[in-house]
Parts: sequence; structure tokens; C-alpha cells
Amino acid sequence: MKYLKLETRTKIFTMMICGCLVILLDSPSSLLACFVLSLLLVTSSFPSLRQIRLLLIFLFLTTWGLVYSQGIFYNAYPRTVLITLVPAEFPLLGEWTNGIRIYREGIFHGIIQSLRFNTTLVIGCYIVWTTQPRDLLLALGRLHVPGALAFMVTSALHFIPVIAGEAAVVIRSQRLRGFRFLQINLISAVKGVISSFRPILAGNIRHATHLGESVESRGFSPENANQRTSLQSSQMRSWDYVLLAMLVVCLISVISLKLIYFCYTNGIYYGSWLRGLYTFTREIL
Amino acid sequence: MVPIQIENLFFTYPSRETPTLKSINAEIASGDFLLLTGPTGCGKTTLLRTINGLIPHASSGKLAGSVRLNGKIISTQALTTTCQQVSLLFQNPEDQLFCTHVEDEIAFGLENIGLPTDKIKQQITLALDQVGLPGFESRRISELSGGEKQRIALAALCAMQPQVLLLDEPTSHLDPRATRDILNIVKQLNADIGITIILATHQVKQVAELCNRVWLMDKGQICLDLPISEAFQDTSAFHRLGVQVPEQNNFPIITSTKHATKTPNSDSLLTVRDLKYQYPNSNNLAVNGITCDITRGEIISIMGANGSGKTTLLHLIAGLLKPTSGEVTMDGKPVKRLRLHQLAGKIGIVFQNPDLLLQAKTVKDEIAFGPKNLKMKSQSLIDRVDKTVAQFNLADIVKDTPYSLSRGQRQRVAVASTFSLHPDLFLLDEPTTGQDQQHLHQMMDQLCNQILQENKTLIFATHNIELTRKYANRVLILDQGEAIFDGTPDAAFANKQLLNQASLAF
Repeated sequence: MKYLKLETRTKIFTMMICGCLVILLDSPSSLLACFVLSLLLVTSSFPSLRQIRLLLIFLFLTTWGLVYSQGIFYNAYPRTVLITLVPAEFPLLGEWTNGIRIYREGIFHGIIQSLRFNTTLVIGCYIVWTTQPRDLLLALGRLHVPGALAFMVTSALHFIPVIAGEAAVVIRSQRLRGFRFLQINLISAVKGVISSFRPILAGNIRHATHLGESVESRGFSPENANQRTSLQSSQMRSWDYVLLAMLVVCLISVISLKLIYFCYTNGIYYGSWLRGLYTFTREIL
Repeated sequence: MVPIQIENLFFTYPSRETPTLKSINAEIASGDFLLLTGPTGCGKTTLLRTINGLIPHASSGKLAGSVRLNGKIISTQALTTTCQQVSLLFQNPEDQLFCTHVEDEIAFGLENIGLPTDKIKQQITLALDQVGLPGFESRRISELSGGEKQRIALAALCAMQPQVLLLDEPTSHLDPRATRDILNIVKQLNADIGITIILATHQVKQVAELCNRVWLMDKGQICLDLPISEAFQDTSAFHRLGVQVPEQNNFPIITSTKHATKTPNSDSLLTVRDLKYQYPNSNNLAVNGITCDITRGEIISIMGANGSGKTTLLHLIAGLLKPTSGEVTMDGKPVKRLRLHQLAGKIGIVFQNPDLLLQAKTVKDEIAFGPKNLKMKSQSLIDRVDKTVAQFNLADIVKDTPYSLSRGQRQRVAVASTFSLHPDLFLLDEPTTGQDQQHLHQMMDQLCNQILQENKTLIFATHNIELTRKYANRVLILDQGEAIFDGTPDAAFANKQLLNQASLAF
């Protein structure tokens, strides 16, 4: 299916700029806007139902994990108790932890953090699903990323489906040998999980070694990147430049506004003519 | 001129004390087709890697002596130079293909050596013609069969126009028809273009008629270097090392009589009814309407070409996949309704890659893993482990780490650790991959003996006719997911039309 195909370097820069933006932004509404835009980006590649399902699982797990952990472990003030899971007077656990509670501010903080993570996660999925390993290798080379590092990143991308398949086989074979990953004996469960990493890791090393040897014996070398030719011309097009320009302007604007606001809140500089910007930064960014 | 001269070559891997290659002196003339064979672990792959320069450039270790190509020492020239003279085809196409599309894959090496794009396009077309896949430029590699993938990997090498082509077990993952296709292509490259071929394989029978010279390796040395006309006049060295020989009458299957099989009793174990399975994102049924009854004491071989549904059927029987429709019942209970851990002790499976099963620190722990999970009490557990170690002759390596063992030993450990659960039904997927005859038959002998002694059932998937003939008392032949034959091996292999249909005729 035809879709707006971005050049690989544009995708990498989009990921980097959005990564910076979500760190700089604090307001839930602006973070939500970033997240929605990242969803639009991934939607533009017409993902399959399986990819959509996978993305939803990733998003759910990230959001649930962050909201739950922040809800419990939030330690800033003020904080409002929503639910008490273990009272402070409960024997041992309660006395030891001084009570376990879920805090409203923690949940709010968890949601903000999950919007940050999810935005980069969605763009990461977009890159993985729409980029050939070879294109990624070329793009990283053009961005002067060291060849060995570029190859590592690319082969990691190449092996994602292989690793997923082998992990499934390892888990199933352990279960067929009577092992239960969900069991009351936590130590045994953790040991089982750790030991299942061993064949997966060994398999990864073996695959990566073979692939590395295969590409090296076909003349690939970080040292000869400059002599390399390319069958597929990979040129930035107008929409690549437009998107990158918009993102760069956006990033510079956010950094500038944040700096102006920082100067104001720390008493370094105040200008009454900037009051509108102060309000905008506080309310929107 | 002699293109390859090997002089007093030694190589020792960093983790080993003894050299993997020892005192190798040999020459290969231009245009030779050399068959390189020997038992697993004898050094075939290491020798190939020294000839194409991966050793020492991409692998650490101690190298002494030299390999010269056209008079130049390979270890001293850059890999980017050597790759234009010597190309290496690996065993598994999945591990060597880097791109998602055929055209990009073939172009990859040519781009690396800086060929202009118009020349690259010409070379792609030529290479695809050479491997018999014209017009495949825009195809996605993931949509190709195993045989086609290996042909694309070969095309990627042919495009580099090497003088020497090295092939490391290139057909061990392929069915007989795909094997024949690959070997025919290699023969043509040798005959028409004059490329020197060195082909390392255990499948001596298929290659012997194509080659003009044979090297037999053992423990890192070339113990036999003869022209094909003389190589098999005295086969004692091949037999001693458990290596296949081309003469039908000398093949172990005939000399070692058919494995003692028991007439299966009528005690039904497994029922498969109109079983169908379709993978997500696929338009075809991988398994299409298979029905059969399996009784205790049977040893069944499932045969068929790559992609015919053998592995999928095994996974459906083992409960690893849920059928799209139809049912597998074991002792009257539907397998799909049982959780995998509930099937432990009833069904055991060893995958094509046995390494995915090995997760413990020692062989003993590996064998104990299953019985421990079934909460076997300590004395019974010790007895079970000791018995299994004895049954599979693993006493010498019981304290070793599984990953430090040879491929043949790792497979034996995987089989033993699955058998230690005493499953009623033992499933074995493609046991021949990467195994020499000696190790393969040793492992199958041990397993089949235990299966018969304890009145269990064995189902193994393979495209190896000899293995089926020797061990199975029943064969199920699949073609595109459908069972096209269910009967005795003798009846199946007498039917040439059937073997052709199933791509099993070489």
C-alpha cells in the first residue's frame, strides 16, 4: 500500500527531536499532543492488525507499569492518599514499609511519564516497521555513526523477529518440561526465567556471529564506507525537509521559551513584555 | 596455475588447548570440484574460514602456516580484496541474508566493493539467471522457501564473480529436490564458468557424482586426499569415521539391519481428526485436513519437502499451536484443552535446533530439570537422572556445560533431557540437521531402543529416506499440508511418483 515514505535519516531525526521534546515538555496537554502526533505518524504507514495489536500491548504495559509504580512509590509532596493497600499498623510489612498506599499525584506523574515513554515507543515502532535494515545501515553511515555501532544497531533490528520466535520456542519447551513461569515459589520462578535467557542469548550470539561473518565475507567493512556505492538512491524529498524544519523550529521554540521562563522564575531576567510567553510556557508547555 | 596452496596450516581457537586444524598441506587446482567431508567437529568449517580469510580477520585464535590464492597469502590481504576472489556460502540461509528484498541482497556485496549501479543491475540479472530464479528481483526474502533463500544467498555470491566458491553444508536444511537444485547450480558454475568449488558436507552420496576430488578430514587433518576415481575404492576410512559413502551396498542402513521394531499393539495413544492450521498473515493452510490414529509402540516418520507442514504438525500434536479446526486427542483427551505444563510427562519434543532446549549449567542439571518440575522426590530423581545418563551414554560429560559440547553431543543431551520425563509420545523434529551419520545413528539407536523397551511412541519429522527406512515402521508423507500417504516405508519408497510429488526423490 502506498504511504508517505520518509527517508531513513528523517525518521532518525524525528525520533531524536521528539525524544528531546518530550523531556522538555511538562504539561499533560502538550505531551498528549506529541503522543497523538506520533500515533498519526505510525497510522500513516498503514500498520497491519498484528502490528496494531502489538503496539497496543506495548502501550498498555508501559502505561500500566509506570502509573502503578509511580502511584505507589511517589515520594514528593503534597500527595493525596487514594487507596491504602497495606496499613502502617499491619504486622511486619506495614511496620517495615510504614504502609503501602496509592497516591493521586503519583498516578498523575505516572501518566505524564508514560506519555513521554509512549511517544518515543510509538516512533520506535514506526521506524522498525517501515525501515529495511540495509536502509538503516546506510542512513547511520551517512550520519557518520561509527560502522561497527551502525552494524550492531542494524543487526539488532534485523533479529527482532528471530529473537521473538526463539524466545517463544524456549518458553514453550520449558513449559512442556513441566516448568511453570507463574508459581508460588518466586525464587524458582525467577531462576526459571533467568535460565530461559541462556538459550536465547546463545542463539542471538550465534546468529549475530554468522550474519557478521556473512556480511564481512561480502566485503562490508566500516573502513570502506566511503567507497561504497548504492543501488537504491535514498534522497531526502521535499516532505522530509518540511517535516524536519517544523520539528527543528518546534524544538528551538520550546528550548527558547523554557529558557526565558527559567530566567523569570529564577530572578535572572523579567520583562513585562514577555508576560504572555510566561503564561503560555506555564500553562501549555 | 594452482589457485590454492595450503602450507603447514595450524589453527587453534582461543578457548581451546589443542589445534582445530593440524599440519594441513594441500593444493587445489583451478576448476576443481572438491568434496570435503568428515565427522562433525573434524575442522571442515574452520578450514573453509581460513581459505576465505574470515580466519584470522574476523576470528581470533592462533594461526600458523599459510593459505595462498594465486600466490598471495590470504591472511595478509584485506577481506574486501579476498571476497572478490573467494566466496563462502553458509549452512543456514536465515543467518546470512541481510536485506528484506532479493535485489538488495544481491546488490549488497557489489555495493561494498564500489561497483557502479548500472554494473550492479547487470550482475543481479546474471546471478539470478545462474541460480534459476530470473525475475525475482523485487520479491521479499521472507516470502521465499528455504531452497529459494539458499539460492538467493548463492546468487549474492555468484554476483561477486569469485574464482573460488566455498560451500559449508549448503543443503543440510533442504529437502531432496531443493538439494538437487542447489547441487546442479553449483555443478553448472563449475562446468560452465570454471569456478573452483570446495563443498563441505555429510551428504557424500549426492555430491560424489559431481566432484572430481575428495578430502576426508579427521581431528583437524586431511587423512585422505584422492581423485574421485580412487577415493571410494577402499571405504574403510569412511566407515571408521562414520562418514557416508556413495555405494548403496555399503551404506550403514543395509549393513546394520533395520532397527528392531515391534509390531505396534492396538492400544490407541493419539487421534488426529481433520486437523487444519493456518498461520496468521498467511493465505494458505500449513496443515490441511490431516486425520490419523497412532498407537503405542509405533515409530512414525513424517516426511515431506521444506514447508510441507511437518514441523507445524508436530507442534500441533505437542499442543504448541492451537488448531484452526479439527482436533488432536491423547488418551481420549483433547490436547488443546490442556496447558503445556500439564502435558509434561505425556508429550516431549526436541526441536530442529536442540540448543533452544538447553538452559542448565550442567548436563546433569539439564536432565534433572523436567523430573524436578514434576516434583519427583529426591531419591527417585537421582535414580531417574542416573538411569537416563546410562541409557544415552552421557556419563563422561555429565558435569560439562551443555554449550561446551559438540553439536552431536548437544542433540543427545537434548533428547536425554526430554526423555527423562518418560513421555508417552516423543516428537523429534529434523534430527539430521548438521549431524554426521555416526552421531545421528548413534542417537537414533539409543532413542529407539528406549522407546521400544518402554512401549512409548516416537514421531520424527525428516526428509531423509534412509533414516525413515531404518527406524520407522510407518511413514506419513505430507505435501502442501495434506497427507498424501500413510503406510509402511517400503510401500512409500517403492512409489516413485509419490516421492516425486513430495519432492523426496533426489
